[in-house]
Amino acid sequence: MLAAGAVFVMWAVATLTFFAIRLIPGDPAEAILGGPGSQASQEALDQVRRDYGLDQPLLVQYLAMLARLVTGDLGTSYALRTPVADLLGGQLGGTMLLAVLALLVAWILALGLSLWSTGRARVAAAVGEGIELTAAALPHFWLAAVLIAIFSTGLDWFPPIATGTPAGLVLPVATLAIPLAGFLAQVMRESLLDALQQPFVVSARARGENTTGLRLRHTIRHASLPAISLSGWALGWLLSGAVVVETIFAMPGLGRTLLQAVTLRDVPVVTGVVLLVALVYVVMTVVTDVASRLADPRLRQEGAR
Amino acid sequence: MPTATVTTLRPWRRIALPAIALVSAVALAGCQAAEPDEASGDPVEGGTLVYASGDAEPTCLDPHVGGNYPQALLAGQFLESLVSRDTSGEIIPWLAESWEPSDDGLAWEFTLREGVTFTDGTHFDAEAVAVNVEHLKDPATQSSTGYLAMGKVDRVEAVDDLTARFVLTAPDSALLESLSQPWTAMQSPAGIARGMEENCEAPVGTGPFIVGEWVKQDHVTLVRNDDYSSPPADAGHDGPPYLDAIEWRFVPDAASRYAALQGGQVDVIDNPQPDTIAAAEGDDVLTWIDAPRPGAANRIELNSGQAPFDDERVREAFIRAVEVNDGIDALFFGTAERSYSALSSAEQLAYSDEALFEPDLDAANALLDEAGWTDRDADGIRMKDGVRLTLRFPVSTNQSIPAEQSLFEQVQATAKQAGFDVAIELLDLSSWYSALFAHEYEIVSAPYTKVGPDVLRILYHSDSITPAPSGYFANLAQLDDPAVDALLTEAASTSEEAARADLYRQAQERILGGYYLLPLYDQQNSFLLDARVEGARTMPTVSTPTFYDAWLAG
Repeated sequence: MLAAGAVFVMWAVATLTFFAIRLIPGDPAEAILGGPGSQASQEALDQVRRDYGLDQPLLVQYLAMLARLVTGDLGTSYALRTPVADLLGGQLGGTMLLAVLALLVAWILALGLSLWSTGRARVAAAVGEGIELTAAALPHFWLAAVLIAIFSTGLDWFPPIATGTPAGLVLPVATLAIPLAGFLAQVMRESLLDALQQPFVVSARARGENTTGLRLRHTIRHASLPAISLSGWALGWLLSGAVVVETIFAMPGLGRTLLQAVTLRDVPVVTGVVLLVALVYVVMTVVTDVASRLADPRLRQEGAR
Repeated sequence: MPTATVTTLRPWRRIALPAIALVSAVALAGCQAAEPDEASGDPVEGGTLVYASGDAEPTCLDPHVGGNYPQALLAGQFLESLVSRDTSGEIIPWLAESWEPSDDGLAWEFTLREGVTFTDGTHFDAEAVAVNVEHLKDPATQSSTGYLAMGKVDRVEAVDDLTARFVLTAPDSALLESLSQPWTAMQSPAGIARGMEENCEAPVGTGPFIVGEWVKQDHVTLVRNDDYSSPPADAGHDGPPYLDAIEWRFVPDAASRYAALQGGQVDVIDNPQPDTIAAAEGDDVLTWIDAPRPGAANRIELNSGQAPFDDERVREAFIRAVEVNDGIDALFFGTAERSYSALSSAEQLAYSDEALFEPDLDAANALLDEAGWTDRDADGIRMKDGVRLTLRFPVSTNQSIPAEQSLFEQVQATAKQAGFDVAIELLDLSSWYSALFAHEYEIVSAPYTKVGPDVLRILYHSDSITPAPSGYFANLAQLDDPAVDALLTEAASTSEEAARADLYRQAQERILGGYYLLPLYDQQNSFLLDARVEGARTMPTVSTPTFYDAWLAG
């Protein structure tokens, strides 16, 4: 059932991408011949259209693409003339590292913030909520520029261009993590508040549990449940944020690959990146499902029956 | 006028930057040495220069394939051309020592430099020249720029080892200029024979650096060619370059590039934004190289092929109505100088006429009244026979920097006073070209880089209205004037210098006088360098930087 759903999602994504990229103006043959506005000769255009099957009817091209995808062949990049699979394989690692680190940091920030501020005095709650709302609303491009201005140009702590060193990762990860932490903390706060009003909290108190212990041992699981199921969405959101962050910090990765491919109308690469992101979504849905079961014993029991 | 002016930025220069740039330009005009900076000592060997490029990362490093400016920027470090150009516009020897056209102009014999080897160890000879031209003309190469440049070349014959004869189908006074461009540079035939995929990764030339590794979306490493022996005639020294290597990084964001330069993470950046250049003035440790690209000036073209600009009075009215000088000063922070020519100031034969572009709102209104655009709608936009005076203005966000986009908004505002409705549409490159190919524009601004005044023939000869197979056409003004055609065709086949110059002057007078275009400024091309970089300069051909004479001080 899950497999069928995943296949359907992948098919839908491939189909939408294929037709969407043809709805925007631009000739893929020109992408092959040095980009838009190329003054390629008729011979060159003809040859390229023949070689890449662009002279075929759209439906034939579409079916040919599906046939290729079924065999696991993502095709060859128009602009870079290398297999799409190699291209994406080379860029996936950097982007995943960035996204996973950002997710991790966002989780830590969000947990810390919501555990600290929820159910406390009004001032702390208001401050916490204010920070979350502000953080969640920060656009990546703005945050990146501010972080560079403060920590690169001002303090000279971290480089503005990420050249593969750990120090270079700090600002990109922070740019992605801070707004996400705002989102996650907001949903955590709500379920944490909910949990703090449950009867088991009173009984734990009665057993002599102090506030910190109560939060860490009893309510943290409740707080994290919705955030766990959000993490699948969050990873996809981070991948789209990677387009901006990779461009600003000059990091190699899928985001920049996608941006360049769309600009050049490099259909196989666009399709490849979109499929890959869809796959990540599908996998993350499974992973968050499992993680929710681990965090919530109720789900495990239901599953056992 | 020279192509490149080098100005070290000091606070006191803030006041009169354009004037200073001009003064330095004049001071440098006769200077062929690479390093005009007064503070330099003896060159130091070694070190890696880090260059941060804001231009798009090439999809292929071989500039024969396609052929755009980002490719030229990189190729200039490892490929060399038969000839070059000096700052006075003279063609000078490079891989060719001398050249001689036949009397009928249909054959050119080039005597090649002796003892030059490609970095794969093979010899540079007449046969290699023949292979390169064949490569450019082969449809399978997918060449665009180089293919056009070799348009009149039928073939190249190797007369002997060091004599290459270009056989032409028609006389071509632009041949030397075409051959000076990086898009027609010489590559090792053995390198070309490896096939496109491999040659795109690491083309093999005779240049001062060799392509090391290319990490996509990150950087290209260029390492020193220890056996280098073929600098152009205007280079600052002989033998191998001083630098060990160049790390050529792709950094698309302008603010990040500048921050990296300020923090010392990189040594050179290209495409600095005007506000950044102005901000760098306060910074004693940065050097600004202002190297306008050759060919056409940046200009707004008026589409004379359809209404309303098929009426010269309406074209003149638009040009008289629009006010750009204050906008250029403010938005470009004094880093761009107003042009009144169709050609770049890098071109010796550029002809300017300021009087033609004097703003005059009253004259504009009178001309529009005369042309029958007498009604006005509720917004104050002029109408004629129920049609609004709307000018569609597709703007490429890839080619127009933010300052230029803001300038176009000022064009919009000032044109409105005369009753024009300028409809700006911001588009990505592919969509922008699609709009042009469909003739869905009344005004448009498109840069065009080429060495020499022959660019006028490409932009304003009526042949260039006919689209190329891809849909591309260069004559965006759709200027169709037999007199202009005749002048440009004759100029392109006239080698005698005074006669050629006179023909180009007449052609430019006619083009400017017909109100087909509104010149704005040279095609901006700036570099900011850390002051420890000495000896860098830009090539007077297409204004790409060269680091052959460069070294790192301190």
